[in-house]
Amino acid sequence: MCESHGSSSTPTPDLSRRSLLRLGAAGGAGVVLSTALDAPAVAAKGRTRAYVLVLDGMIPGEIDSGLMPTVKALRDGGTRYPLARSLPVMETIPNHVMMMTGVRPDRSGVPANSIYDRGEKVHRDLDRATDLRFPTLIERLNRKGFTTGTVLSKPYLFGVFGERATHRWEPFPVIPVSDHAPDLFTMQALTSMVTEHDPNLVFASLGDCDRFGHSDLTGTSLRLLRNVALAQVDLQVRRFVDLLKSTGRWRNSVMIVLADHSMDWSRPDRLISLVPRMAADPLLAGKVEVNQNGGADLLYWLGPAAQRAEAIKRMRRIALATPGVLSVHRPRALRLGPQAGDLVAYCRAGWRFSDPQPFSNPIPGNHGHPATAPIPFFITGGHPAVKRRTSSKRAATIDVAPTIGELFGLGQPRGGYDGRSRLL
Amino acid sequence: MTDFVRPVRDELPRRTVLAGTAVGAGVLALGAQDPAAAASRFFRHGVASGDPLPRRVVIWTRVTPTAAATPGSGRGPRVRVTWQVATDRAFRRIVARGTVRTGPARDHTVKVDARGLKPATDYFYRFVYQGQRSPVGRTRTAPAAAASPSRLRFGVVSCSNLEAGWFAAYRHLAQRDDLDAVLHLGDYLYEYGVGEYAMGSDDVVVRPHVPRTEIVSLRDYRQRHAQYKQDPDLQALHARHPFIVTWDDHEVTNDQWAEGAENHQPSEGDYRARRRRAHRAYDEWMPVRLNGTAKLGDGSKIYRSLRFGTLAEIALLDLRTYRSQQSTAVPTPIPNPDPTNSDPNRTITGREQMTWLKRLLRRSPAQWKLIGNPVMITPVVFPPLPADITGPIADMTGLLPTDGLPYNSDQWDGYQAERREVLRHLADHGVTDTVFLTGDIHSAWACDLPVDAGTYPLSRSVATEMVCTSVTSNNLKDITGTPARTTSVAIEAAILTLNRHIRYLDFDSHGYSVLDVTPERTQMDWYVTGARDDRRATSRWSTSWQTRAGTQRVTAASAPVPSRRSDR
Repeated sequence: MCESHGSSSTPTPDLSRRSLLRLGAAGGAGVVLSTALDAPAVAAKGRTRAYVLVLDGMIPGEIDSGLMPTVKALRDGGTRYPLARSLPVMETIPNHVMMMTGVRPDRSGVPANSIYDRGEKVHRDLDRATDLRFPTLIERLNRKGFTTGTVLSKPYLFGVFGERATHRWEPFPVIPVSDHAPDLFTMQALTSMVTEHDPNLVFASLGDCDRFGHSDLTGTSLRLLRNVALAQVDLQVRRFVDLLKSTGRWRNSVMIVLADHSMDWSRPDRLISLVPRMAADPLLAGKVEVNQNGGADLLYWLGPAAQRAEAIKRMRRIALATPGVLSVHRPRALRLGPQAGDLVAYCRAGWRFSDPQPFSNPIPGNHGHPATAPIPFFITGGHPAVKRRTSSKRAATIDVAPTIGELFGLGQPRGGYDGRSRLL
Repeated sequence: MTDFVRPVRDELPRRTVLAGTAVGAGVLALGAQDPAAAASRFFRHGVASGDPLPRRVVIWTRVTPTAAATPGSGRGPRVRVTWQVATDRAFRRIVARGTVRTGPARDHTVKVDARGLKPATDYFYRFVYQGQRSPVGRTRTAPAAAASPSRLRFGVVSCSNLEAGWFAAYRHLAQRDDLDAVLHLGDYLYEYGVGEYAMGSDDVVVRPHVPRTEIVSLRDYRQRHAQYKQDPDLQALHARHPFIVTWDDHEVTNDQWAEGAENHQPSEGDYRARRRRAHRAYDEWMPVRLNGTAKLGDGSKIYRSLRFGTLAEIALLDLRTYRSQQSTAVPTPIPNPDPTNSDPNRTITGREQMTWLKRLLRRSPAQWKLIGNPVMITPVVFPPLPADITGPIADMTGLLPTDGLPYNSDQWDGYQAERREVLRHLADHGVTDTVFLTGDIHSAWACDLPVDAGTYPLSRSVATEMVCTSVTSNNLKDITGTPARTTSVAIEAAILTLNRHIRYLDFDSHGYSVLDVTPERTQMDWYVTGARDDRRATSRWSTSWQTRAGTQRVTAASAPVPSRRSDR
């Protein structure tokens, strides 16, 4: 989730370009879906339906905790990838983008939740539709006459995917502190979208598991809130599967269930603040911006180009000498692109970054660092393409687009995918 | 029944002779014919294979060209030995062959890295000297690096002391047809003289060691290896499955460390020279690649890894050659309060091996990281202490080991700083599905591996550990001279109560294990063998524990895997 500071506001999608549909939903709550004006009159093309369900922030072993019988049964009945990984930076926005593009951030333009924008000279979330520069699976399916939908529980995800999908749900209600829509509402929106529009592909993301993980002060030891969230997520998934089965959609459905990253908890005293350390160096003082992404810090050199090499050397040395820092990388080595700055620092398990101030990141649960790379990843559903098997191959968030693309007979995007289809 | 080849003097290309009917897949089944007797006078020590790779495997034998050319004697001529690898028992389809020289300089051992093979394929191999054939061995190559096998299965053994009993565990494993390889996790042989360390508290010698004295010289080590290689059960197991081995201490001498050993006295000469001799004999007599090759004399680095497609990578550790001296000696299982157990300047792996291990764990493309680990890594301490509490105390006072008082400081418990380095590395890098496979301690264990045992089970586990029993070496009941399930029970209960990450412990059994690996889980089945002095001791299943993918925790399994496989 976004732990950034100084975030700019999310641009509000232009309502004038949307046709609004208010649909009745279970429990009497209203669900507002928007649909592109140029959407085809027929809801979907062909029988195949695909649902990408992101359980934001889930740890793979939690599925075996006994709190998630529905998710476990879906996993065990489908194609499972135990070696699946989130990709750098192990944050929400870049991994959702990787799922829908199939390419790494150096091609999509979205390397982290938050960056320092050199042009605008601000720290901001990558939550603008224009931040995403690669054609998504959503647009590519639309161009082939298929219909698509997005049901994303976090405003910044709604922002970055914008109006690409045929049908969109703008997260509501959004809880102020966690800045996400609870799963109950997200699932109502998903249910409504499937019931009313029945798109070929729906990209849905449930945020409770991540948000309760972030704020769970019982952290690693007790994880009380987290466990409640797991049980709640399972309940919501069951509702959705029940809907598919009761309406006869299941036999034509492929579901990819995965997380964008997992979660790690740190104690209040295990904070890393690189800003004061950089400021203490005569060369670096006043010429370095540090953008904090929970378990990863992005470092930007703002001084003269002639001093960049020396500055990067010092930044690396200072970061590696800081307790709690695991490693430092050049963005190119992680395929992050220039938006990620000049260096990326990862923290160790049980630590977190807090920049620019030690109080900037008070939340115990974080991700972005390698400790949070393992994710659940499985393909399930009643469609004949779904095989019951466990594969020892390494899957990743980047494999979602190629997998769904193959399902719908879509070719490769220009330049090809960086991921690969995980249909067996 | 047996399909060992009796020596005949036919010309090689025209021979298709197999003694017996070769019914079933076994190279030999004990009982019908003693393989030692079946071997010719030229091939008295059987055949063996090891370190399978996708396209090559090490094959081994020892030739005795003249009666005088006995092991360790340094006598006998230099000779040429032909080797063959075929896809069929009858050697109609020979796919690799060659001729190698051997002689007294290498104790007439023959070790070949047979190349040009196909991945995940069964092969038969044999040697020929002066027209006489060796027994036939069967081996199997590893799957291709990019392959994703649905299943792998390994026998797991350690601590086989010939004086303490018959190798029933080997015999029962040799009768199985479902294994990809056998992992021997150390103490393949023992260095002691006759009666110094035999069966039980009275040191009953079931079979006397050769030579009769503690082995120190190169001649001694060669003779001891030769004696073990003449054991019919070990011969049968070597002939039936490839071995993947590492050594613990007894391959040189008890409780060895980088510069010495408990069982090495100044009167026995320079310790490092003794170790060189022991390693030389090991390299000659074992189907293993030291320093990455089957050549002799090019180094004795045994830590290495073997890939089995995307399903597993097996890393074999050397926890003796580079380690710091053990802390103050306190008899096991008395808790050891020596604070040097957690001294960060002490090492059990050596820096180079630690760097290699951490890199492998971080970068292995395989799902399961199986660590052949000669001594236990799980904390077994009284009591486990939270690191956040003991760390500052230890820093300030230096009075206590940070992880608690270990009951055996010869294992990773005596090197707590390096254990933390490994476990924190797993946590820091999100490494999943690491299973330590361990021997040494003559007992059976199934354990979670938390970074901080003092806060477990509230804190995370980052790996698991499965420990096999000894084949014959004395366990706790043997040492105390008490019946099974009497005195050991109280100690087991104390350890299990104070160490909540330890889920299973059996101090009283001998036998072997079978490790079954699938993408869903790994499962270890423990089999217990009967009386060690019973030549025909039976075997029975004891218990099974699993590590399910992604959980880093062990859970009990209800039944062992069937010995028949559907994936072959």
